[in-house]
Amino acid sequence: MPVTRSPRGGRPTIEGPGFLARADLQFLFDLLREDGRRLIGPTVADGAIIYDDISSVDELPRGWGDEQSPGRYRLRRRGDEQLFGYVVGPTAWKKWTFPALIPLTRSSHDGHKVSFEPEQTPPPKLAFLGVRACEIAALAVQDRVLIGSEFIDPDYMVRRANVMVVAVQCTTSASTCFCTSMGTGPEVTQGYDLLLTELDAGFLVDAGTPAGRLLLDRLPLRAASSAEQYGVAATVAAVRARIGDPIPADGLHDRLLAQLDHPRWAQVAERCITCGNCTLACPTCFCTTLSQTTDMSGLTALASRSWDSCFSPGFAKVAGGSFRARPRDRYRQWLTHKFATWWDQFGTSGCVGCGRCITWCPVGIDVRDELNAIAPPVPLSPESRLVEPVAATPNDFVTARVVNTKAETADTTTLTLTGVDPAFSHGSTGQFAMVALPGFPPLPISISRFLPDGIELTIRGAGPATKAMCALQLGDQVGLRGPLGNNWPLDRAVGRDLVIVTGGIGLAPLRPVLHAIVADRRRFGDVKLFYGARTPADLLYRDELDRWAKRDGIEVSLTVDRAGPDWAGRVGIVTHLFDQAAWDGTNMIAFVCGPERMMQATSTTLAGRGVSASRIHVTLERHMECGIGLCGHCQMGKYFVCRDGPVFSIAQLGDTFGREGI
Amino acid sequence: MAHAPVAARPRVGVVKFASCDGCQLTLLDLEDELLSVVDHFDIVDFPEATSARSAGPYDVLFVEGSVSEPAHLERIVELRRRTRFLVTIGACATAGGIQALRNWGDHDAFRAGVYSNPEWISSLARSTPISEHVTVDAELRGCPIDPHQLVELLTALTTGRRAQLRDESVCMECKRRGVVCVMVSKGIPCLGQVTQTGCGAICPRFGRGCYGCFGPREQANAAGLTRHLQMAGDRPREEIGRLFAGFTAYSEPFRSMVTELGGARTARGATTTAAGPAPRGGKA
Repeated sequence: MPVTRSPRGGRPTIEGPGFLARADLQFLFDLLREDGRRLIGPTVADGAIIYDDISSVDELPRGWGDEQSPGRYRLRRRGDEQLFGYVVGPTAWKKWTFPALIPLTRSSHDGHKVSFEPEQTPPPKLAFLGVRACEIAALAVQDRVLIGSEFIDPDYMVRRANVMVVAVQCTTSASTCFCTSMGTGPEVTQGYDLLLTELDAGFLVDAGTPAGRLLLDRLPLRAASSAEQYGVAATVAAVRARIGDPIPADGLHDRLLAQLDHPRWAQVAERCITCGNCTLACPTCFCTTLSQTTDMSGLTALASRSWDSCFSPGFAKVAGGSFRARPRDRYRQWLTHKFATWWDQFGTSGCVGCGRCITWCPVGIDVRDELNAIAPPVPLSPESRLVEPVAATPNDFVTARVVNTKAETADTTTLTLTGVDPAFSHGSTGQFAMVALPGFPPLPISISRFLPDGIELTIRGAGPATKAMCALQLGDQVGLRGPLGNNWPLDRAVGRDLVIVTGGIGLAPLRPVLHAIVADRRRFGDVKLFYGARTPADLLYRDELDRWAKRDGIEVSLTVDRAGPDWAGRVGIVTHLFDQAAWDGTNMIAFVCGPERMMQATSTTLAGRGVSASRIHVTLERHMECGIGLCGHCQMGKYFVCRDGPVFSIAQLGDTFGREGI
Repeated sequence: MAHAPVAARPRVGVVKFASCDGCQLTLLDLEDELLSVVDHFDIVDFPEATSARSAGPYDVLFVEGSVSEPAHLERIVELRRRTRFLVTIGACATAGGIQALRNWGDHDAFRAGVYSNPEWISSLARSTPISEHVTVDAELRGCPIDPHQLVELLTALTTGRRAQLRDESVCMECKRRGVVCVMVSKGIPCLGQVTQTGCGAICPRFGRGCYGCFGPREQANAAGLTRHLQMAGDRPREEIGRLFAGFTAYSEPFRSMVTELGGARTARGATTTAAGPAPRGGKA
């Protein structure tokens, strides 16, 4: 029912969006101004599209677009008549809802009396024109922060209540956009009074609130055709596709907080000028500072509040100095707050993905690159990417054939298996297989070597099933499921020193780590292996231990509990050996495997040398029957050891680690 | 900065060393506050304002200019002895001033190039900030100083509160005022990121880059900015060196950048090499 309307008078209401010709947009301006509102919208000034007071459609950036990249913004001519064909610029709407400077309190002395008067400025009645999806999200974030709890910012509250939001769908994007990753856009779906979508000849107009509906009903609209409506959806979908998913956000909170010691913090601090531009350009940053102005007599004073930044050295200063003295501390504070601890404080991300901090960083630091480097969504190195297991379900097995057996010690044998599913060869250090022989319960066995066409399993014959496995002969078959579990975070060891502490059969799950390091030795710093066994005859992989020490640049320290006359090495438990050695833990990551008490003692020593809990990784042993978190045997606190582990950082385990009975 | 009222009606002196007098004039330009200043301060020595002279002692002494002549060396020590609270004002006093560019050059050649009778000129090989010679209680940066900061310091002196002279980048003021970043939007090199605030971002407000007249802020990452300008802007080293070789070139870390990159010109227009100036002396 296309009905052309005049801007006045009672008419039937259009259901769904209406169409407003571009030439009629001034009607909207006039209606908003008649409503007593100052209109704030986009306009070209000083080489950018900024938000400012406007009164006429002629002030909009007709035909202007922009090009944005890290540290760079340029206007460009679009070659069309679009009024909103640009991406968000340097101004954030908080300039009006949360101004850069407001007076707060007037105070005065009168003899011995003091008085304090709140300074109240009547809030202007505003209409924001051209608010994008990420910006609506930003307003919502500041709503949470400033008026979302029992403590409210009264100035923000009244300013915010006096704003009418006229949103605009994004029909274009910049290289700096990542609303898609933050779940805030590009589609405007809520938080608006009116919503405009720009088409070739005009706008689709829809209302989101009763106030918006009242305005809409007074506009000269015709009903939008379905072709127009579908076209809009396709355009916004194309924007989404173009932006992609630059920061996979799943698990980002935990990933980032697990990396408080990452060497990248120091690297980015060499580039970061700590100028504070990112925080003030950010539409959600809310930090402020009070300042006092007095007259020269000191009798009256005015306290004012202005935008401040956690990047300024003075921001965290107390009498004894600054709590975040180094630039790297301040960068870490900002990034972890935005993307992680904001969730804990406000139940939302502090970032809306608008990209302002990227474009307006004078030296072009891109938070997306920093996040992907510090808290990568997938492991960095191919060796630690987990493959899909085969025969994942508990009732299904693939078979493999024994092609070599090697007696490592009196009770421990290494089986070389071939004919296994390729998934096993592509498994990752620290993973295990469920190994079965008919009639015996399937057992979780760490994979002790990955070969191009097979795997090795090192098994200690401790019970009937393991003894049966140790007794296998060439040509015998076994049943396998896997590879299962997670892996040693070898990617985190790249560029760091690595210490491996283990004893007895515990070297088996760490052996692939040493193979991977030897294969790519230069990517790692100092690598130390501390390894203990009951007697010299109980040391596994003697030839390899020799090669690692002599040829491969790995510092191997061995110790035994009891020794005969032929042993010239150390005697004593591995924890002591490790404790007495001289080393520095500041850039170190630790992999530990052994009995839980040994791992606990080792962690304590590591912590004492400056290796934080997030950099100490252990592999846990629990009763595992299914290997995939279904049978419930291996539960440990909130984790299934088989599925969430077996490798955990001490930080993950918290105080459940080493606690008896858990 | 100031902590307690220095005196009921402090005796104030304003003196100069090697400088243009512009910072002193900022005090005279405080037209709205001038009467109040005179009410609260007893100005006993201020050659730009009055012919009255005093040999001190001073409760507050404003010192403009750098130490540039042999006679300055003794004079500043003597003034410090007669002063309770010494405030350096302007880029010359706080950083050595534009005249400190000679610190990278050949002093004798400089004199011979500029003056027809160089033997009449008595000057030191280096122009140095006051703080290199005596303890300074507060400083007002800039070329010239900012009137609002001056009033803030004066008010702090009369009321005994801490003067609120922010230690942050000029960028913060640009952003608060809604100034579009000239570096990002126009590719103009700007020192605002590494420069201490206080000017109200006056240069970027007029579309040009900050040239650092307030000097480096705390922990100024001049090396980081340099690397960015070299890599992203593809600018030659000496051009970047010249950015730092301004009114506050002799303050670290700008000084290291000028030394490393070149950019300070000598009297004959030749550019200095990376040899650099003599190391900084100790305080008197």
